[in-house]
Amino acid sequence: MAETYPINIWINEERLAKLQKAGLDRLTQEMLAGLKVLRVPTNEKQRDEILKIYPMAKYDSATTKTIELLPKAVKDKIFDMVVDKKKVDIMDDFIKSVKK
Amino acid sequence: MENIGHGGKEIVERVLPKDTAIKRLGELKATKAKVLDIRAQIATEVIDIAYGFFTPLEGFMTKADVDAVCDRMTLADGKTVWSIPIVFDISDKELKEKGIQKDDTVILTYTGNPLAIFDVTDIFTIDKKDVAMKVYGTTEEKHPGVKRTYNYQDKFLGGKITLLNPPKINEPYTPFWLTPLQMRKRFKEKGWIRIVNHQTRNVPHTGHEWLCKGAWLQTYGELPIEKPIVGVLVNAIIGEKRPGDYIDEAIILTHDRLRTAGYFGEHNHMTSCTFWDMRYAGPREAIFHACLRTNLGCTHHMYGRDHAGVGSYYGPYDAHHLLASVQDKINITPTYSMNWLYCPHCGEITNEGICDHKKEWQKFSGTVVRSIIIDGVKPPRLIYRPEVFDVIMETAEKYGFGSAFVTESYLKKRTPVFTIEPLK
Repeated sequence: MAETYPINIWINEERLAKLQKAGLDRLTQEMLAGLKVLRVPTNEKQRDEILKIYPMAKYDSATTKTIELLPKAVKDKIFDMVVDKKKVDIMDDFIKSVKK
Repeated sequence: MENIGHGGKEIVERVLPKDTAIKRLGELKATKAKVLDIRAQIATEVIDIAYGFFTPLEGFMTKADVDAVCDRMTLADGKTVWSIPIVFDISDKELKEKGIQKDDTVILTYTGNPLAIFDVTDIFTIDKKDVAMKVYGTTEEKHPGVKRTYNYQDKFLGGKITLLNPPKINEPYTPFWLTPLQMRKRFKEKGWIRIVNHQTRNVPHTGHEWLCKGAWLQTYGELPIEKPIVGVLVNAIIGEKRPGDYIDEAIILTHDRLRTAGYFGEHNHMTSCTFWDMRYAGPREAIFHACLRTNLGCTHHMYGRDHAGVGSYYGPYDAHHLLASVQDKINITPTYSMNWLYCPHCGEITNEGICDHKKEWQKFSGTVVRSIIIDGVKPPRLIYRPEVFDVIMETAEKYGFGSAFVTESYLKKRTPVFTIEPLK
């Protein structure tokens, strides 16, 4: 399986309620001392595109190999797209939508 | 001669008493001494030099010092280890307009008010690309230290500095900015005989907290334990900020909160701040930090992986290797640390050198924790102390215009860390 570089969307009560309502809370994982996270995968090309579109974001290559520091509004949009499409593989659609 | 700093030199404050300073300024004005208004970075280094943070430097480097630093990582004496050029740059145009010449005594002002006297003994140029390569190991402009080097003006002035007008440190930094002599006095009052420094530009998560606790234990070593004689000095670097960094107020006040909330105590922990614009020079910056903290009175210094590095310019242990190469020429002992992480099996923060539940490890970094906070999520208490989180939220409201991270508004409207007031 090709390596993925997830975007971590950290789950607060509001996000958990939305996931539960959509029956998607099974998509979350426990990542840090009980803190839940929704991991949205990106491939290498998608990762590089995201980092180019959002230069404030950072790929944490040393510790977690994840894309971090995306603005909350961007993550909210990714989260809403996951809920809408009921799956986490949405990165192509997301990148297309922001490039419009 | 008890306050011995880096290079075996006594720490001497180059600061004139107020009456003498007013008189001296009057004399210089009467002789129509040239006046230069300087930018914040130069002003902070003037202050650093004057109070002995950069001992044995007494002023900005001359060409001989810069060459020795680049070529041999020493000062011009060929003996004293020094890794980063401390330079005063000026444009050719300004140099000509002001008519500054070698052996001139120049009045330096900051925000229009007198700050210091600069006895110019050298005027020179540097090969910026050569300096970048030797100090940073690269000539790529995307390295922030290289970019800074390329952005310097074309000429450089070397010579001694004498402070006329001490800075007024503004709240909330007032209790945290201490000169090397004040710092040493405080250590003595606390009865500490070993002090281990924690270099930071971050709000502490529990990985940082345990890094300090581990280093404190390492530093204690063979010493008797009847009474507390070892302390952790958190020395936050206050300098140029970039959007997305934690605001300075949050960094200082959260570290201090670890003490007041009891995770450390008055007997073993102290938070302070020092002016310095990070160069991200990795191994060479690690050496600079050793010299700086020796001057503060520290006996030990924490170094993790990729200390003061940026991007992938330096290997994770390059700083350790360079430190080892000059260990007999510096007066501070490095304490190295492996990564701290959360292990759900142990149910605690542990160290990758201790715990063997490798498959279960949950690693976290400052970047990940920042990401959690940006998402508006409160991290678990095992990762982030709730008291620290509360201080972040308070400082965001009180100082950060609603954000714990540097924004354009913060850069424009923040209260400066220090001001230079009229000298009268």
